[in-house]
Amino acid sequence: MSDGAPVDPWVRARSLPMGTVVLVRTSDGREWKGAVVPPHELSGDRILQLKLASGYNVGIRVGDSDRIEVVGAAPTNGNGSPRPTSRPPARGGEGWVALLTTGGTIASRVDYRTGGVRPVREESEILGFYPDLDRDGPVRVVPVFDRLSEEIGPPDWEEMARRTVDAFSQGARGVVIAHGTDTLAYTSAALSFLLENLPGPVVVVGAQRSPDRPSSDGFTNMAAAVRLARHPEIGEVVVVMHDGLSDDRFAIHRGTRVRKMHSSRRDAFRSRNGPPIGWIEGSTVHLARPFRARSEGLAVYSGPMGTAAAVLWFQPGLEPSRAEAYVAGAAGVIIAGTGLGHVALNHLPWIRAAIARGTTVAMTTQCLEGVADPFVYATGRELSRAGVVYLGDMLPETAYTKLLWALGRSQDPAVVRDLLLAPRAGEVEPRHDAEDHP
Amino acid sequence: MKAGLEVHQQLATGKLFCACPAELSETVVRTVSRRLRATGGENHAIDAAAAFQAARNLTYEYEATPTSCLVELDEEPPHALNPDALDVALTMALLLDARPLDEIEVMRKIVVDGSNTSGFQRTALVAVDGRLEVAGKTYSIPTICLEEDAARKVGESKDGVRYRLDRLGIPLVEIATGPEISSGPEARAVAEELGILLRATGRVRRGIGSIREDVNVSTDGGARVELKGVQELRRIHQYVQGEVDRQNALLAAASTLRTRSARVSDDAPVDVSELLRGRATGALGEALKRGGVVLGIGLPGFGGLLAPPDGSKERLGRELADRARSSGVRGLFHSDEVPAQGVEGDLVTSLRARLGADGDSDAFVLVAAPDSEAAGRALTAVRGRAREAVEGVPEETRDPLPDGRTRYSRPLPGRDRMYPETDVPPIPVPAERLRALRARLPPHPKEVRARLVAAHGVSEEVARTLQRDGEVERFDSLVAKGHGAGLTAQLLAREIPATGDTEDPFQFPLDLLDQLLATVERGEFAKEGLGPVVAALAGGAPTVRDAVAKAGLASMSREALAALAESLVTKNAELVAAKGAGAFSPLMGDLMREVRGRRDGQEVAEVLRETLAKRASTGAT
Repeated sequence: MSDGAPVDPWVRARSLPMGTVVLVRTSDGREWKGAVVPPHELSGDRILQLKLASGYNVGIRVGDSDRIEVVGAAPTNGNGSPRPTSRPPARGGEGWVALLTTGGTIASRVDYRTGGVRPVREESEILGFYPDLDRDGPVRVVPVFDRLSEEIGPPDWEEMARRTVDAFSQGARGVVIAHGTDTLAYTSAALSFLLENLPGPVVVVGAQRSPDRPSSDGFTNMAAAVRLARHPEIGEVVVVMHDGLSDDRFAIHRGTRVRKMHSSRRDAFRSRNGPPIGWIEGSTVHLARPFRARSEGLAVYSGPMGTAAAVLWFQPGLEPSRAEAYVAGAAGVIIAGTGLGHVALNHLPWIRAAIARGTTVAMTTQCLEGVADPFVYATGRELSRAGVVYLGDMLPETAYTKLLWALGRSQDPAVVRDLLLAPRAGEVEPRHDAEDHP
Repeated sequence: MKAGLEVHQQLATGKLFCACPAELSETVVRTVSRRLRATGGENHAIDAAAAFQAARNLTYEYEATPTSCLVELDEEPPHALNPDALDVALTMALLLDARPLDEIEVMRKIVVDGSNTSGFQRTALVAVDGRLEVAGKTYSIPTICLEEDAARKVGESKDGVRYRLDRLGIPLVEIATGPEISSGPEARAVAEELGILLRATGRVRRGIGSIREDVNVSTDGGARVELKGVQELRRIHQYVQGEVDRQNALLAAASTLRTRSARVSDDAPVDVSELLRGRATGALGEALKRGGVVLGIGLPGFGGLLAPPDGSKERLGRELADRARSSGVRGLFHSDEVPAQGVEGDLVTSLRARLGADGDSDAFVLVAAPDSEAAGRALTAVRGRAREAVEGVPEETRDPLPDGRTRYSRPLPGRDRMYPETDVPPIPVPAERLRALRARLPPHPKEVRARLVAAHGVSEEVARTLQRDGEVERFDSLVAKGHGAGLTAQLLAREIPATGDTEDPFQFPLDLLDQLLATVERGEFAKEGLGPVVAALAGGAPTVRDAVAKAGLASMSREALAALAESLVTKNAELVAAKGAGAFSPLMGDLMREVRGRRDGQEVAEVLRETLAKRASTGAT
């Protein structure tokens, strides 16, 4: 910057600390006074956002001959830096529940400064958000990591599983895992395979609405999850989320049988190929189906996960070469086939070749309901003869996590196949009622 | 004293953030129940209003209708801001000479009374610094906003409130004036002119509830208070004066409290049920009989300030009672009411001792409720108000009451309650968009009025009425068909509005009006009969002919008229003999009433004069 060269007012505006009060005089004689706030990610070019005294934000285009004058410093508390309402956690006492936080909407806050979503880490912050949580007994918060759930991967499932085992071994009655909803069902399925011999419930819970909103479902979901985590009999991984659009009823889903079926509704999570295990209404837990009972021993970690698995969603017109390129190098593939588990037969050659190389190829249905069955149509029979493993009514996502888990136990395709087919955590349901389809 | 007006007008474009129509509905498709938590938006500084509402622990029931969708149920993210609605807001900005922003940022305003399923209202500032000229005076228009209307309340119980989602999401254009209005007629004129401008856009909803007015009162030394939903603007003067009186009374009380160094403690309320049992009557006694409790707190220093001796209507005691009421408990009793409800004599002494309010300048407050939790909550609210009383006058939102007073509604929204609505991207307002709107700008109502006056000879007042009721287009069309401007104006600006402003007003289609005017012009009935015929049509007469018959206006022949005049003159022979031609006036009134529009007034006058003249010339009979 040379002497005498005027600073572009836009550049100057962007360099000011958030909350600085400025007076902007535009070249057409207009005047604006307000506090500088972060621009929206999608704001236009040279648009300065100011918060007026009324609380409204305005977007003003800053021209190069406009003038910006600082008339007030940013407030020392940061003009919007979060002042968390926090409480110190209650300590000690029998029957504590561990609350593992992994990020996600349910344990995040909108950061006024960056405009982004920031995970909540501190125990007291969480309890400030969810003050009812320890109403029935102590809750200890265990921050595990901070991830949007679409960023989570198998190593994170392993970490969650290990921390769950740790919590139980330290005496927790039950474990709640706060998680983003996008991949929550993948996690609940993965944990169902990574955890054995559970001495209490493992409840995975999320929120479809962020907790800065008064209407957030997180409040009631979290309370229901903690309540269920104290259940004296359950010993498996379940998901608890809204059942229906009111705040008074929650479904308990088996971790391997649930899927996010709507991008935004509170009741997005639905058990597939059968109803949920039960419901929570008020303080009542009602269990309607058989569940795994808790064990008297220690929880066991049965990881690690394997690697190199993929899910292939078949479409009409999919070139076999494209599919082959996609699965090249994979140790296992879950195909979400059409109908009872079909693909176009011009895919047979690469499937056979993959199986010959030792890749496990397993079939599920992209209908997401009903069974994949190899015997009804010729296509299925051909695929089955070629060595494709048909997985009944297992969900594609659940099959994917089970495949990874199996690959973590063995590289031998025959063993992997047997593991895939052996029922382990309720991931396959042999009996289907007419009333099951929602 | 000065007041500002805030007009909220519903738009007839679709809803603001979804694809639903902007229509109310009586069909309930499903009902969901929700709880709302106190949050401070992104700052998590839970503000007074939000905490206050949430503390009531209410359940809200929401009725979904065919005109609401998942967005209103808070189950789907909002869609992009309705561009038609924004065009209307920008058009208003141009008509009011206001500056639109370069980029519009939608905000969330936390509202925790349950009237928004998400717990906040989406609102955006669109333009600033406009002005409006009415009757030669210029008013500032500081802001023009575009926001969504709230769900409408359809029921209430002690556990919660029931809302219907049909109204939620209907776009509102909010236009605020500066505090420059000082009389009722002035407020009405400003509101009317704004209404006319809004209707000129052609995109506003009509009917009851489609436009709402709030009044903001700012007084010197006092506080800014919002009066929500003032129904009769001509009473604005009464409300503003009432507010000034109220605030002055509160300022005087504050001064006394400070002199007495009054301070409000945080001590727990005391359960005085046993002291009162068997002695208290009235509301306190009733509550105890029903198994409730009475709790109390002392307010040292507040003695005599809760109900000042001059009996003025505005008193601190009422403010405390209003706070208790809004936390769900009716029935606050304070020491300035003594003796009442059986609280007298030694009982007062005991109460004062128990509540730490022994001195003459101390007061105490009792609250009766079904249980101590409810009573405790009410007393916490009362204590909060007592603290504010020491400071002065709190900023509030108040409800106007029919008698010209106001009642506490809820705390004024603070700026902490607004934060960006990140689900909706910001909306640029490029110059091209404004140019296109300017090219399509409806003619300014002033120009329209001038044209009507100049071209058709109607009065300025009639022109304004036509505009106010949105009848200019139809007026023009009927006049273009050849009907007389005067008669058409009478029909549209007087007779039709006279049929009343009901829930479901009768709609007069254009061809019916055409027929009606033609019928009068053919002489089938006189123009004086227009009113009754219009009323008969509004009352259900299926055709103009039927309406004419129903109104008893089947034409009267000239002979019949003459006969009627004759018989009237005969009946009033004495009057006629005494006054001669001077009998014309009283008899004209009587005759017109008899004729009831079946013949033209001028003709009736002519016939009566003839009849009187004949009588005079032939002498008494």
